[in-house]
Amino acid sequence: MPCARRPAWLALACGALLTSLASPVAAKSPDVRITGLVDLAFNTITDLSSDASQEEDVCVFSASPTSGYNVTATGSGSGGAFDLRSGGNKISYEVQWNTQAGQLTGTQLTSGTPLTGLVSSATQQTCNSGPNASASLVVILRAAALSGAVPGSYTGQLTLLIAPE
Amino acid sequence: MRLWNHKPALVAGACALTLAGSPAFAATPTQGSLGGTSTGQIGITATIPASVQITKLGDLAFGTLDPTTASQLTENPCVWSNTATKGYSITATGSGASSAFTLSNGTSTVAYGVQWAGTTGATTGTTLTAGSAATGFTSTATSPTCASGAATTASLIVGFTTAQMQAAVGSATAYTGTLTLVVSPQ
Repeated sequence: MPCARRPAWLALACGALLTSLASPVAAKSPDVRITGLVDLAFNTITDLSSDASQEEDVCVFSASPTSGYNVTATGSGSGGAFDLRSGGNKISYEVQWNTQAGQLTGTQLTSGTPLTGLVSSATQQTCNSGPNASASLVVILRAAALSGAVPGSYTGQLTLLIAPE
Repeated sequence: MRLWNHKPALVAGACALTLAGSPAFAATPTQGSLGGTSTGQIGITATIPASVQITKLGDLAFGTLDPTTASQLTENPCVWSNTATKGYSITATGSGASSAFTLSNGTSTVAYGVQWAGTTGATTGTTLTAGSAATGFTSTATSPTCASGAATTASLIVGFTTAQMQAAVGSATAYTGTLTLVVSPQ
């Protein structure tokens, strides 16, 4: 029975029910997505007196009204450290982030700490249209780390968490 | 530099970690999905070869020699090794015939001796034979060119015995030569 046809004493309760149903539920956070990631292979590094750096272009999409996002990086080292390991030996590396593709430098990331205030230029969630990438990920092995490392094949994983802003 | 190669080795590594009960990593790279947050992961690999470097070498000038008195000069190079033991070997070759340790004035030669010590400031060391590696040295260098840490790590000793000088033809023209040092990791 429509509320309008109910007795007055019921109308209030009916109105309250409708009000409750119409109340906003917790707002869903805007969607984000990171794609275009590739592994980084430094191969054999023969010049241990110089920094070794590699950059890759990635697609970060944010559906927030401002296209804003933050990024949190964690490595596979102890406590999320940015370390590569070869048995019991390790090499530390640095991670930088730039909100433009094709950049060789960026803002240095601290493991587990969000880098905030970023804005994506992506217009499609996998950059299939519009810009084909919207950020640069830079990984740097510093000379001091390289020259202090014991010979070996080092591996590690870098995890990137994107959240909307 | 953009890299688009997937690295199957990382897949195998991830499987091994899972079986061992250690934290498991998915095969990389993994792309994020659309959602309130999105997570992606990449693998990173690098190979460090066994490496050594010798620096801080200087020329040696004996000036005019007295054939009745042995003479030697010492210098302190920096030898760096990145092996777990910081070990290295050294092979010296001269510019004489068959890499002999000899100087020449164009017509005559004079022999000299070469010693190497794995510590800086030494006045005696292991006698080197031209072309033969002397092994078992350990470096204290912590940077490839000793820019930090130990400033020098070894001693190169070059000298003439009285016998070597007396066997040489006296000459107003200086005897010259080159000494090549090859360091290898151990």
